[in-house]
Amino acid sequence: MLITLKDVYKIYGEGLESEVRALDGVSLEIDYGEFVAIAGQSGSGKSTMMNVLGCLDIPTYGDYFLAGQDVSELSDRQLSHIRNKQIGFIFQGYNLIPSLNALENVELPLIYQGVGVSRRRDMAMEALERVGLAARAKHLPSEMSGGQQQRVAIARAIAPAPPIIMADEPTGALDSRTGLEVLGFLQQLNREGSTVLLITHDNGIAATARRIVRLSDGRIVEDHPQQVDWYKGGGA
Amino acid sequence: MKFGQAVKMAVKSILAKKGRSFLTMLGIIIGIASVMTIVATVSGYNAKMMEAFEAQGTNKITVSLNLNSGESGFEKIYDYCQGLGSDVVGVSPASQIWTTVKYGAKASDTMDWQEQPRVYLGSDQYSKVSSFEVARGRDLSRLDIEEYHQVCVLGARAARVLFDYADPLRQSITISGVPFTVVGIFAEKDAESSYSVDSTILIPYTAARFIPNTDGSSSECYVKVKDSQTINPVMQRIQAYINSLTQDGMYGWGYAYSEQQWQDESSGVLTMISVVLGGIAGISLLVGGIGIMNIMLVTVTERTREIGIRRAIGAERGSIVTQFLVEAAMICGVGGVIGIIIGYGGTHLAGLLLFEGMSLYPSAEITLGAFAFSVSLGILFGMYPAIKASGLQPVVALRAE
Repeated sequence: MLITLKDVYKIYGEGLESEVRALDGVSLEIDYGEFVAIAGQSGSGKSTMMNVLGCLDIPTYGDYFLAGQDVSELSDRQLSHIRNKQIGFIFQGYNLIPSLNALENVELPLIYQGVGVSRRRDMAMEALERVGLAARAKHLPSEMSGGQQQRVAIARAIAPAPPIIMADEPTGALDSRTGLEVLGFLQQLNREGSTVLLITHDNGIAATARRIVRLSDGRIVEDHPQQVDWYKGGGA
Repeated sequence: MKFGQAVKMAVKSILAKKGRSFLTMLGIIIGIASVMTIVATVSGYNAKMMEAFEAQGTNKITVSLNLNSGESGFEKIYDYCQGLGSDVVGVSPASQIWTTVKYGAKASDTMDWQEQPRVYLGSDQYSKVSSFEVARGRDLSRLDIEEYHQVCVLGARAARVLFDYADPLRQSITISGVPFTVVGIFAEKDAESSYSVDSTILIPYTAARFIPNTDGSSSECYVKVKDSQTINPVMQRIQAYINSLTQDGMYGWGYAYSEQQWQDESSGVLTMISVVLGGIAGISLLVGGIGIMNIMLVTVTERTREIGIRRAIGAERGSIVTQFLVEAAMICGVGGVIGIIIGYGGTHLAGLLLFEGMSLYPSAEITLGAFAFSVSLGILFGMYPAIKASGLQPVVALRAE
């Protein structure tokens, strides 16, 4: 298994009257190469789930194994390396650095990997070409439309060719046509072997995934079994 | 991530936020430059005052004696001091008279005021009191005083402006139209100042009676003593002598005081001025510092988000802290250097404008202190978001609002 969550809780303000259980005892397994949509209403805990899965946040209780490794035992440095090399994030709010142009934003994860200047530039340009923004490489985020910014964010996520892609409402701020384009990318990446996690509140978008995990009030209320997968040969 | 990368990122970040970088630098520049200039100006003022004291001649006692009998108070003091032995170097009046000096076609009233020869009434000991050496010819003699000789001794500059390349000795100049023969020339004492003691023309105080509208019986005179230790004992003896003659005002009045007393009081005032201006300088340093903090803290939220993004895509805590450290150190270092340059220029300008071209130099301690204070403050607050945010879970930093 690539991802194993066992009885994971994320509790804010524990012990207080206002205590919020963003994740309330979640157990989940995701295998290599899956395309999983994590669906749910706003406030259902799906973003919290992505933050935990993406090593951006730590669970209050419970175990999280990533590729067999207990994440709670990893140092901050090791977690940084995992985020850097293993996971590509696509955030709802793009999260580009406003003072850097498109190319520099895409280069950023490669810089932290220590990739040399010319190779890094090539890889970043290649990623921008894939999302069709090579011509806009020198533009600042503020000079681009929302869809273009989201595509820069995708280029940034895919530039280091990470095995896992996590996308939080990647189509949330986009019109339906650009939204479909973005989904097309994710499916393409999945076909190329990446494991893709798609967080969305939109059932229509969730339906494009091969497996849907539905969250409500921090619990998994529905987990559509994975369709038969030729290279794995079995269900979840 | 390599250090070179951190430097590149820092440069990029500085250039991308020119306003922020500039305002931070401004705080540092103003702090350092103002402290340097103010402190150097105060110390220049101090030096100028000390110079004035030196020119006055230290180890001098100012004495005045006026007797109701009409006798000359000065002569009484002069005679008395001759009995005090080697403690007293000389006794002389030193009053200037305002008059026109002429030689041939040269007249003092047509000269630049700084060049004008200045006529002083003195005794045969004037040169000792004012530390002049006779370069050529002779000094005033006791006989010149007693017999009202119309002779004079010229300061080096007075000789030059009146005579150019001619030999002044035995020539005759006129002071308010009255002829005086040049008997000697003093050696040059102060070639630097534009307004120099070398413009002195010394005549016997008794010869003042020949000059219209001039009162030769000057009330004040100077007693020059051997060294600073002898000032007080000699002054007390003169004071006692004055008291014995005047009998508490019955037969006249007089006083004796030393420059040193005045000097002590003045240096007290100067210390106070230094403290007050130093305080003002300290406040401007502090205001500059608060400016730095302000700019840095205003951008914390923005920077925290940036740190969240960088952390999310895999930056290690160390990389973030290094980047922010390099960034702050560069802004503050450049600002500090500019501040020192401007402070140096400001100090020089203050020397030119306030102290007639005196070379002022900022103190190295003050410069280093102001630099260290501003720059460490800037670096501390520049690092603050990095230290604060890099310890957070990336998701918390990302949510910063």
